[in-house]
Amino acid sequence: MSVSVETRVFRAPPWLKRHETVLAIILIIALVGLGLMNDRFLTLDNLLDQGRFITETGLIALPMTFIIITGGIDLSVGAIVGLCAIILGHSWKTFGFPLPLAIAFALFVGALAGFVNGFVITRVKVPPLIMTIATLALYRGLAEGVSQAHSVRGYPEWFYFLGQGSVFGVPAQLLLLIVLIVIAGVVLDRTTFGRTLYAIGANETAARFSALPVDRVKLIVYTLSGLASGLAAWVLVSRVTTTRMDMGTGYELDVIAAVVLGGASIFGGSGTIWGTVIGLAMIQLLKNGLALTGVKGDATIVVIGVALILSVLVASSLERRQD
Amino acid sequence: MRARLLLSAMFGALLASAAMTAANAAARWDGADDLPTNPLACGAGGAAAPVAAKPYNGGRAINPPDKAGKEITIVDVPKLIGIGYFNATTKGQQEAAKELGNVKVTTDGPTEAKIDEQIKFIDNYITRGVDGILFAANDPVAIAPVLKKALSKGIHVVGYDADAEPDAREWFVNQTEFNGFAKAMIDSMHKEIGDDGAFAIVTSTFTTPNQARWIAEMQAYAEKCYPKMKWLETVEAQEDNNLSFNQATTLINKYGDKLKGIFGMTSVATPAAAEAVTKAGLCGKVAVVGGATPNAMKPYVHSGCVKSFVLWNPIDLGYAAVYVMRAVVDGKLKPGDTSVDAGRLGKLNVINGSQILLGPAFVFTKDNVDKFDF
Amino acid sequence: MTAAAITTAASARGAAFRRLIGQEALLAVAIIVLAIVVGFINPRFLATRNLSDILLGNAYIAIAAVGMSMVIISGNIDISVGALIGVLATVSGSLAVAGVPVIVAWLAALVIGVAVMAAQGAVIAYLRIPSIVVTLGMLSILKGGLISVTGGRWITDLPQNFHLADLSVFGAPMPVIIMVLATVLAALWMRHSPRGRAIYATGGNPEAARLCGVNPRRTVLMVFALHGFFAGLASLVYATQLRVIQSNTPQGLELTIITAAVVGGVSILGGVGTVVGSTLAAILIAEITSALVFINVSPYWTDALRGALILATVIADILRRQRRAAQGWKR
Repeated sequence: MSVSVETRVFRAPPWLKRHETVLAIILIIALVGLGLMNDRFLTLDNLLDQGRFITETGLIALPMTFIIITGGIDLSVGAIVGLCAIILGHSWKTFGFPLPLAIAFALFVGALAGFVNGFVITRVKVPPLIMTIATLALYRGLAEGVSQAHSVRGYPEWFYFLGQGSVFGVPAQLLLLIVLIVIAGVVLDRTTFGRTLYAIGANETAARFSALPVDRVKLIVYTLSGLASGLAAWVLVSRVTTTRMDMGTGYELDVIAAVVLGGASIFGGSGTIWGTVIGLAMIQLLKNGLALTGVKGDATIVVIGVALILSVLVASSLERRQD
Repeated sequence: MRARLLLSAMFGALLASAAMTAANAAARWDGADDLPTNPLACGAGGAAAPVAAKPYNGGRAINPPDKAGKEITIVDVPKLIGIGYFNATTKGQQEAAKELGNVKVTTDGPTEAKIDEQIKFIDNYITRGVDGILFAANDPVAIAPVLKKALSKGIHVVGYDADAEPDAREWFVNQTEFNGFAKAMIDSMHKEIGDDGAFAIVTSTFTTPNQARWIAEMQAYAEKCYPKMKWLETVEAQEDNNLSFNQATTLINKYGDKLKGIFGMTSVATPAAAEAVTKAGLCGKVAVVGGATPNAMKPYVHSGCVKSFVLWNPIDLGYAAVYVMRAVVDGKLKPGDTSVDAGRLGKLNVINGSQILLGPAFVFTKDNVDKFDF
Repeated sequence: MTAAAITTAASARGAAFRRLIGQEALLAVAIIVLAIVVGFINPRFLATRNLSDILLGNAYIAIAAVGMSMVIISGNIDISVGALIGVLATVSGSLAVAGVPVIVAWLAALVIGVAVMAAQGAVIAYLRIPSIVVTLGMLSILKGGLISVTGGRWITDLPQNFHLADLSVFGAPMPVIIMVLATVLAALWMRHSPRGRAIYATGGNPEAARLCGVNPRRTVLMVFALHGFFAGLASLVYATQLRVIQSNTPQGLELTIITAAVVGGVSILGGVGTVVGSTLAAILIAEITSALVFINVSPYWTDALRGALILATVIADILRRQRRAAQGWKR
């Protein structure tokens, strides 16, 4: 039985590789084009800087890829970022935890928030879109309630290292992201866990009948999503030196755009970490490149919107021609 | 039946929340940041208290290139683009640039008032290499690291409308002091509703820095000068017209005759509150006072629903910001100076160490509102 | 064989509808119970003026939710509707200020709404790009485009007769009439007309639908076009209520509309739900927002409570359906 599952999934990779290749080519063309129009764009300084900005959405995009592969979705990630940021700040300032404990507690709350999502999705069987729309409102509201609209500032110097420091010239948070990207890629590609994700996305009922631990796996990915949001909150607070309850607003759309751009089907069953990374890079570098070339904010988001639709159009029609 | 479960859950939630309200009784009017308030003297003509000269507390650009007298390129990154208020500041900036002749200023910014986006915009312009950055901050602390980065690269940084931490910028053009604005608001309301009138406040969010400070100052001033005026509650309405309208209507329906006045704390909330009062047929019975731009308020001022609203001239604000930036680049404005020359605005004073004051809050009424177009 | 299939499908849908009456009834009961409870704590809540204000101020959400429900039932989603409503309101207002007859200004909103949404529907149906991608992209295009074109300049000086929302027919205010008409007509159409029922079929199982003679692609295109029409209606009510039009994207509007549809019992898996449910849900959410102010909930906790209540409603709905399904199995 397990053999047939594996065969079904192994037929997928060549098709997957096709989409990422196309996307990578589009990305390179865009980079070269923007680099030609502007001499500050392709400098190491600028690219590393952008790496700093990419980290928060990048961290969340990793488990989001897992979730979308299983055919689910998580719209509450932005709200969880806000909640964890508040918990981090307030448990330190208001409740008096030592800062390392506050950080750990914030990560725990993030994981817990994700766990609640996963629990209700798997046990009560509320569809993920609906559940996470509801928790989006709830978690953001909790952030406001706990914080009573105060922000927390004045952290000790060492705290800012994660968000603002560098290791051998590479931004600290970017290193963290790279390590996690590698881990996520390995998990998705090489472990049973990863294969189970694809199986669930391809055909959940069949996966269940194949004795795969569908519910447990789903629970894990939603918890990871919450944990990643907490991690992103930590990085964000460290980068901007303050906490606000509206942090993370809109992150969910940025993350989903990156994952979908990277080739994951919203219906589940396909997607890779590599694709997500390219999607992330493309959106951030496009925004940056356009800005450096002198395109203003409102025009930039129009271009991003068009680019999103066109890239997916091009990539999926090329794909279809190969079928 | 599960429906019963749902209903009892709802009922329970409502009871719990009703209980939570008891804790709310201590009532700050909003969520300010616990900074000290400094209410002005009561009564008409209670002019700004004499301000003790404070030492300069702004940041410094590190080794800026010497561009005295030469053409400079500056960028303006407001809280967000696409709202009338910042269109007006841009207009003033363009006017000043034209007058000076050697300044090129562009306005660019996020389409939503998000600090994270604003930081990215500023960072991009640092990479592009501009001579100066004007900003109106979505969050005073969060914006500090990127502004300091600009300073460290020799870029001049001047703020307006919404300040950052003082050492993250060189100067800040303050449209009006928080306590002055608060005094103008409370005095205007008091004029209409009297010593023991009751009022409510509609604001954007509790975490918008300027709004929070104004409300805190308003509370301090009202408690000092009109202790019998009664604050009922403050509600949030984001920056959305319809939402503000709905919230104002809810307040009117909730308090009925008890409500004598509504404050609108943003240029969105004030016209929406005026609309709510008009729709409820309570013009003249419920006062509406707030900060707002003239164009949005004209219909209500003309109908008599709104007697006065408070603001400053954002065109002047943008205009002054550019002149200040020019003066900084030319070396004409240095730490320790007590005033700066701002074109048609004359000499503006330095207050609070590194702030440049535009002037007292301006009260718009039926008699002068038509003279403005923004 | 086709006739038998359709009959079975019809009776299955009949059962589905019977199941669904549960959700509408649940919502209606919740609306009434909430009103009574809050009225007990603060009697002013039950004043006719207040209740009608709640309806009037939020009718545009219910109207947009009708179209959104159709989209979700057909198995898609649309997150660009908030931006579109902002654009349509601005266009309509600008035309009116420019001196165009108000009827034309109103019609422009409807026509452009249909056009934009139909374009998205075509890309989704025929180019087969997932709806979340297309509407996400369109959201950015509309938002940026609106600011580029208008610069955020507010529209004031609207002519007096522009205000559609101020009119009333036989004493009933226009927004409520539009809301009720839209809901009732759409509900009837979706239940009794073949094209309407095709939406359920497309969302539930496109392959089976095709075998029954339904064209899923044309259905999706039609659904989005209709959605554009309702978005246009909603934008008219939205734009004509106040004397100024903000000409920007109303923040979070699409989320509110989707929440209304979802709480109303529309299933994201497609194929289930009614527009009556979404309208009732929109009313309920508006009522909760107002209620939280009336009973003096600390303003810091209102959003959390609303979120909790929405979550409770959603969970109760799912549990209720599972109970019914379990009963179905036993039979």
